[in-house]
Order: sequence, then C-alpha cells, then structure tokens
Amino acid sequence: MTAAVVTKAPVVAAPAKRARNPYVQGLLTPRGITGLIVVGLVVLLGLAAPLLTSYAPTFQTSNALLQPSGEHPLGTDEIGRDLWSRVLFGIRTDLIVVVSAVPLGALAGCLLALVSVASRWADVLVQRLFDVVLAFPGLILGLTVTAVLGAGTSTVIVVIAVVEAPAFGRMLRGAILSHREREYALAARVGGAGPARLLVRHILPNAADPLVVQIAVSLSIAVIVEGAMSFIGIGVRPPEPSLGSIVSGSVMHLQDHPIYAIGPLVAISAFVLGLNLLAEALNKGVRR
Amino acid sequence: MTGYLLRRLPSALLVLVLASFAIFAILRLIPGDPATTLAGSDPSPDTIAAIRADLGLDRPFLAQYFSWIGDLLSGDPGRSYLIGGQITDLIGDRFGNTLALAIGALVLMLVLGPILGVLCATARGRVPRALLGAVNSVSLTVPVFVTGVLLVLLFAVTWRLLPPGGHQSIVADPVIGLQYLVLPALCLALPGSAVIARYIKDGVLQALGEDYVRTARSLGVSRRRILWRHALPNALPPVLTVLGMQVGALLGGAVVVEALFAWPGLGQLAEQGVARRDYPVVQALLLLLVGVYVLVQLLTDIAYALLDPRVRLG
Amino acid sequence: MSVSPAFADTLTRRRLVQGIGAGAALLGLAGCRSAVDQDKAAPAGAQAGPRRGGTLKVATLADLTPALLFTQGPIFSIHRLVFNTLTRYAPGGLDPQPELATAWQIAPDGKAITLTLREDVTFHNGRPFTAEDVVFAVRNLQNPQRSAQLRATALAVTGFDIDSPHRITLRLAHPVTNIFDLFEFMVISAKESVEDAVLGRNVVGTGPFVWKTWTPGTSLVLERNPRYWVPERPYLDAVEIRVVPQPDALIASLRSGQSHLAAGLGGRDIAPLREDKAFNLREYDQGSGNIYLGVNTSVAPLDDKRVRQALSFAVNRDRIVKQALGGYGLASAAPWPKTSPVYTDADANRYPYDPTRAKALLAEAGHGGGLDLPLAFLSTAPAVAQMVQFDLAQVGVKTTLEPLDPAKFQAQLIAQTMPALWTGTHGFASNQPATLAVSAYPFNEAKNTSKFTDPQYTEIVQRAWNQTDARSAAAKAAYAELSQALLDRQFIIDLAVLTNVQPATANLRDVRQNRYNATVLDDAYLAG
Repeated sequence: MTAAVVTKAPVVAAPAKRARNPYVQGLLTPRGITGLIVVGLVVLLGLAAPLLTSYAPTFQTSNALLQPSGEHPLGTDEIGRDLWSRVLFGIRTDLIVVVSAVPLGALAGCLLALVSVASRWADVLVQRLFDVVLAFPGLILGLTVTAVLGAGTSTVIVVIAVVEAPAFGRMLRGAILSHREREYALAARVGGAGPARLLVRHILPNAADPLVVQIAVSLSIAVIVEGAMSFIGIGVRPPEPSLGSIVSGSVMHLQDHPIYAIGPLVAISAFVLGLNLLAEALNKGVRR
Repeated sequence: MTGYLLRRLPSALLVLVLASFAIFAILRLIPGDPATTLAGSDPSPDTIAAIRADLGLDRPFLAQYFSWIGDLLSGDPGRSYLIGGQITDLIGDRFGNTLALAIGALVLMLVLGPILGVLCATARGRVPRALLGAVNSVSLTVPVFVTGVLLVLLFAVTWRLLPPGGHQSIVADPVIGLQYLVLPALCLALPGSAVIARYIKDGVLQALGEDYVRTARSLGVSRRRILWRHALPNALPPVLTVLGMQVGALLGGAVVVEALFAWPGLGQLAEQGVARRDYPVVQALLLLLVGVYVLVQLLTDIAYALLDPRVRLG
Repeated sequence: MSVSPAFADTLTRRRLVQGIGAGAALLGLAGCRSAVDQDKAAPAGAQAGPRRGGTLKVATLADLTPALLFTQGPIFSIHRLVFNTLTRYAPGGLDPQPELATAWQIAPDGKAITLTLREDVTFHNGRPFTAEDVVFAVRNLQNPQRSAQLRATALAVTGFDIDSPHRITLRLAHPVTNIFDLFEFMVISAKESVEDAVLGRNVVGTGPFVWKTWTPGTSLVLERNPRYWVPERPYLDAVEIRVVPQPDALIASLRSGQSHLAAGLGGRDIAPLREDKAFNLREYDQGSGNIYLGVNTSVAPLDDKRVRQALSFAVNRDRIVKQALGGYGLASAAPWPKTSPVYTDADANRYPYDPTRAKALLAEAGHGGGLDLPLAFLSTAPAVAQMVQFDLAQVGVKTTLEPLDPAKFQAQLIAQTMPALWTGTHGFASNQPATLAVSAYPFNEAKNTSKFTDPQYTEIVQRAWNQTDARSAAAKAAYAELSQALLDRQFIIDLAVLTNVQPATANLRDVRQNRYNATVLDDAYLAG
C-alpha cells in the first residue's frame, strides 16, 4: 500500500474571476483526456458487467483453470468460474467500495478539521489522532481493524475511510487556517459576517480546489487499499469477486497457469493509472 | 533549550502511554486469543483452559496491562508465545532483514531514478518521450502487489532468472542472497524511483534552460560535460529531501512485499503476530512503531526550535 | 523543453549501453551460481546402496512452535528425528514393531501392559534411558498444557510398576484399543530438558539427530547423533530445516537444489512438479487429515438427521478432490484412509453426489422450499467453502459465507459457537478408529462443536475404545459400528481424505513417515 501521492500540494490562489472552470481546463489536456477515457472505460465495464457476460461471477463448472477461449475470454479460475465475468464484477465491487469509502473518509476528515479549527484543545486531540493513524502502516491498521470487525466489504470501507481521513482533515484545516488570515476573510469579518457564515460563504468554497484534487488521489489509493487487503486475504468476502481477491487467487497459480493473473492486473493498473492521470490533470488545472 | 525539551517531553510521553493502552486493549478486543492458536489442531477445551492459565490470560485486564508495562520498564518485552524466542532477538533478527530489503530498494532507487530522470529530460521525439512518461507513471502509481506479481511472472516464471520468493542471508551467502533480494527490492523501489526521476527531470530541464548553460553550449563546452557538471548537480538537492520521505514509504510498502515474496521481515512478523494473536510480539512491534514516530516528531520539533528561537520561547 | 536533439540522442544511446552493461553484470552474477536452476553437473550414474554423509536440506512452509512440541500439527515434525518412540507401526498398517521397547505383554483382562525396554540407549546429554523416562513421557502427555491430542488415551494410564530399570508395567483404567497409537505418538524426551524444550532452547531425546541451533522463523539445524543406538545409522551428517512461508518459493527452492525435501505443501501447490522427472512425489498411505463440513445440530432444521444426510448427498466430493486438492485426495464420506482397518469402499461411497436425492430428502423433511444458512470457513482456505456453497445452492440450500481467521475459527470451534455450518479439517482418522473418537475434538462424544449428543453414540465409542485386543473380531465389529454411527448421524460430514504427498529431489532415498506424519530419516541417504 504505497501512498502514491505525488501531486504537489496545490497552491491555493486567491479568488479571482476565471474565464473557464479550472477543472474543465485541467481535464481538457492530453493527460486529462487520457485519464477520462481510461477511467470511463473501466467504470463502463464495471457498470455494464451483466450485459457483457453470460456467466454469473459465482457460477462454477467442473472445468478449472481453462485457457482463454471464445466461451471464456480469460479462461477459468481454480474452481471453474469464468474469469472474464469475475473481472467485470470485480470492477463493480471495487467501484462500490471506492465510491462509498472515499466520501466517507472525506466527510470524516472534513468534520474533524472543522472541529479542530473551532477550539485549540480539539485541535491538539485531532492532530494526535491523525498522528496515530499515520504512524501505522495502512495494512497493519487494516489487519487490526479486520481482526476486530471481521472480514467483509463494510470493513474494507471502514479501513479505507480511516486511512483517507487524515489527508482530507489536514488539507482542509490548512486551507481554513490560511484563508482565515486573508484579506477577503478579514474584510468579511469587518463587514459583520459571523464565523459560520464566513466559513460557509467564503472559506469553504475557496478551500474546495485542493479537496477535489485530493478526492481523485484518494480514489486511486482506495483501489490500492482494497486490492492490498483482498490480496492478503482480509478483503471482500468470497465468493464475491474483487480485483484484489482475483489477483490473490492467481498468485497460487503463477507457475502453472500464469494467464489467470493477467485480467485483474490489467484492470487494477488501468483503473489506478487513469485516476492518477485525472488527479494530475485536475491539479494542473487548479494551479494554473 | 533544555527548558523547551522539558516542556515537549510530557506530551510525547502521553502519546506513548495512550498508545500502549490502546494497543493492549484493541488486541484483546479481537476474538480468539493466543491459547487457541497455541493448542494445535483438534484441541479440547481443557487444553485451552490450561494454556490460558499458564500464560496468565485469565488474570484481570488491568493486572495484565500493568505487568506488561512493568516488564517493559525493566527492559524486558517478554517472549513470543508462539515462536518461543525472546522478543528483542526476534525483532532484531527481522529488523535486519527488513533493513536489507530497504537498503536494496534504496540503492535501486538511486540508480534507477536518476537514469529514468535524465532519460526523460533528454529524450527526443514524441514517441520515446511518451513511452518514458508511461514507464514513469506506471512505476509510480501501480500498486506494489501488482508490480510484484508482474515481476514474478516475468523474471521467475517466463524467464526463470530469479527465484519467485524466499530469503537467504546476504551475509552468509552473498551470491544467492543477492538473487533473492533483487525482485522484492526492485518491486519496493519502483514508486520511489519514479518520484526521484520526476525531480531529476524537472531539475535538469530547468538547468538546461538557464542562460549560462546556453552560453556554455555556444562556447563549445561538450554536452556531456554540461549535463554532468551543471545540470545534474543542480537537480540533486531537492532529490535528497524527497529521499527522506521515501524511506518512510519503504517501510510501509514492505508489508505487502514481504507477504508476496515470503521475505522474513518485520511486516511478516506483524502479520503473523496479528493472525495468531501473539500478543507480546504485536504489542512490542506496534509500540515500537509509535515510539519511532513520536521520536521523529520530537526531533523535527527540536530542529525547528533550534532554527527558530520564537518557537522555543512561545 | 528545449533540448538540442543531437544532445539527447548521444546521451540516450550511451545510457542505454551502460544500462545493458549493468543488466549483463546481473545476469553474470546469476550465471555463476543460480538461486533458480539446479546444478546440472551432478553425476547421473548413482552407485547402488546407501551413501554415508551429506546434509539433508528441508524446506518447510511453517516454522516449528516449541510450545507445541508434543502436539501433532500440520507442520514438519521433528518427533522422529530428535526423539524415538516406544514402538512404531510397520509400513502399510497398524502392526506394532519394537523401537525403544523390545517386547510387550498385555494382561489378559486388558488392564495392564508390560514393556521390556532397550538397555543400550542414551539421551543426547549422555544419560541412559530407563523406565523412569517412560513414566515421565506419559505424565507429560497427561499435562493439558502440552496440547497432546492423545491426552485422553494417556489419561487412561493410571499407574506404573517399575520392575527393573528396563522393565515397566503401565496400569490402565480399562482395556485400551489404541494403546499402540499412544506409543507411536508419545516421544521419549529427557525430563531434565523439557522446560527448555518447550521454549525452544534445547531439545534432548534419544533419536538419530541432535538439536543444534534454532533461529526462530528462519532455520533449525540438527546434527547426526554419533551414539545412536541403531548401528551405522543415520547416514546423513546433518539435517537443515529452512522456513520458506510461501508455496511458490518453496517449490523454487526445491528446483534450485537449495533443498532436497519440501514439507507442508498441499496437492494443488505440487501441480507444477508433477511432470518433472527430477523430483519424486512420494505419497504416504496414512493420509494427512480430512476436510469436512461441520454441522451445528442445535440449529433447526439441522437437528433433523435427514437434512444433514441431504447436505451430504448434495456435495460433489470428486470435484472438491479434483479442484481444491489438485487430485491429491480420496473423495470419501467416511474419515478413514484406505490403510485403516475399518476402511471399506461402500462406506467411502455411502453418499454419492446425488442432488435429486438430496432434494427429495429435504422435501421429505419439510424443507422443499429451500433453506438459508450461514457457513463459516477458515479465511486462509476459501476454495472448499465456496465449492460447498455452490453445490448446496443447487439443491436449494442458500448459504452465506463467513470468513474467520485461524484464531477466531479455533476459538469458535472450542467454544461451540460455530454457526449452522462450517468447513474445516480434522486429523486422527489414520490409526485405530477409537483414536479419532477420543482424540479429535469434533468427534468427542461428551462435548463437540456440533453440540451433538447421543447416548448410543457414546456407548459405541466406549465399546470401540475398551477392547483388549485391537485385532480381535470383537474389536473389528465395534469399529464397523463406529463407522456406521458416524455415517448415519452425519454431524460431521466428511468430504475427503487428504493424500500425504511430499516432493523431494530424486537423489533423496528411503525417507519414511510414521503414522502421525512425522518424518523418519533413520535410513535416509543422498545418493551420489
């Protein structure tokens, strides 16, 4: 679980009238378009899974470890399930996990950030909390949480949310603190705006840019965390497929049936790469 | 300065105390205890009860906690229930292996990163540039367990050049040991190499655009000389900063890499410890992690204080 | 990005050449001694007969756990390397042969057994072996902390009469059919070293190899016992056991010649070696345990025998053997391997794969409309549970899988808190059938995970256990009755007997295993 966050912290520009939405501007670069296409393709495959295969992902036959054929485009796994179907539905599982976990983590992180800017004591507490989460390698955290809660999709979602929350929390806290001292905020305060109004009307909209970029980054990290957890056997419950659990199953057969690994590897790589391209493109757009 | 340290120390200690309690409590929240994993296959309830009593797991929670803390303070983290060794020896042993892996990865990073960076900066034409960019993006973003499986497929299955996993001490047998090290270290090094490559690329490009470089070129200084003497040294300082951050990522990534390549390091020890409820081992490892983190934070704060007297006084 | 084209060109090429150079150097390194391929220079024409010397290198998936030294576990066992036992079964059956005991006499009422012991045996620490050591060995297994699965049988020994230093009588609470199972299981250790032994500091026995150094999680080195009581044995100078906790890496270490013997692999892991002539895939006929579907009989409607039998008909055992065990197993509804005295083909095929019959039985029990049950399984072994789930779904029994990690799984087994169904493994079916019923917890008549109680079952178990002569007709009848009781009641639905298969390099000869799967290297040698 390497946190592949390389997007440099976006420099938050003072509010200025922009000719075009910076997100659109960022996405309409070669990088952004490639990212959109790749992510769009993966998402489409996941959403359209039932239309693209006649096999249920859990349907077993007596033909285990078949080579790819017209019937089974990616062959079958060790208990005779169609791998093409499993990869498609695996993408679907990943989508569900990622789409519910990242907003949850973002929400938790943002709420904690709001709490921490409200009082000094809360700030100390929240920052130490983030420290503790960051002190443990993500997988050790995952192992422990899973041991307590039991393995399953909801546990994966909780782990991802916990892992992601500090990034959002720190980012929002930093943005709020720096904006609070800026002229327009001071001006608004002088103009009689209360702290709540100041926060909602002036500071939050301006802190949104880094959050949008962080969401894109977090989505790709979430795919990686799901994969890593399923890979070491503490992820989504069988027999439901997830990309990580298919890779994990394939590892037993790298020697005698290497083709097994190809489908899930390509899907994960494409998904993660695409999301990272999007994050970079958005970051560029925001910084422009 | 001493005054500042004294003021910072209690909060650091507080984190340690809280963490020790949290770790101790969470482990005991996990269903199943060491006695169940110690009893072997097909055990009877009597056996489990006897082992539980022997390990002192039937004592009150707080009594167990304080006896652990007492042992820790007297410098004895105890023995592993399951492995049987002294925990200090165990962790020392495994730390050595993880360190070997991390150093291997660091060396590869320092070799691959600059090569890739310079190539990216100096590549000519759309296609090579796009290809190099793709290599860079893939190494950077694709998760370790995916690159790991790919590396095994390539080097251990298709070409059979290197073993797909396992470990041999480099000290005892350098030739074989190194072959075992290559794949896991490479897998661990790739993301960091890509980060370094980016910084080098940016630095070199920037330097090559400087006026003095243009002047030097027009005066006939060789291309190679310009790159080695001017552009590359210019790009290095930020890389050092990045390297510091990558060391932390190395240790985190080691958990997956150790699982994939059967490398007997700290990550594996932690994973087995949690799975088999080896309380003393997991407690010691987690507390060590927190301790290192607290120490790093403290040192950072001290460094800031040394640089900025206002912090010391404020 | 304005870089002069010529500049870039030469540079790239130079870099490329240097890169290739570095790659070649790496390959050169690999070329001198490889961690992947075996040294092909080994002479082909091996001379006949055993050869003295050499270090046997064993690679095993899991390290030994000293606290479990006196337990039978799934890992590579040093029981018959460092230790000896009183008697040992001859290969292929349950015929006791002398080891540290040279002769034995069972009292006519079956309530005592007198053993004559070898007089020329010394422990590795130099102390002679005497009858006192037998007393200690029995008492050691009676201690619940030792987790010895044959504890119930050890507890049947109620007293000791030492006639001379090398002659001892064990008094028994009742006739014990499986007393030689106990002797096969019970290692003779030096009592003065046992506390050190269970901490992994030093293990002292009388066996062919001496405990040398142990590095937890990494390796264990044993050296030849120069004073072994069998003359001229062992042939090997040393045994080095290395832990390689991943099947692929284990097989790779075998391929590269870094180990001669791989322990702990499942049938499916071995598939890549099947066609390879450089390796022997040695199968041992006592099996290595069973996989089963456990049933919690306190959950309705599983308290109905017909429903349990329906589940048994619904599972396709042959497919499980083929897909989950790589073909290395015996699809059987009974727990016994083929070498068990109670094995019959009819029992093994008592519940053939028959979904129609399963549905009929379910309908008869009033559940034609289907069922919905939880199914727990060990998260490290998901294949069997998923196959069972699929098969049960075909007859209308929907199941929800609940993964449990090993510690949680074990805890729920012991605490009788398993859900309606679970898949797991058990052992102890390979020797006297009574051993299964009194040693393996899932089958315990008084208290078991299935919460199954039946006075008739208890009585049958006791009868099978309390026979004076394990080979008498009465004993055989009692065993058959036990087998029928298990097959009829189906509180444990046995699915397959695991084949015990160990890959080794072709030059390793005469490795044996005892009936508890402990490796025996007394006669083993590495051919030239």
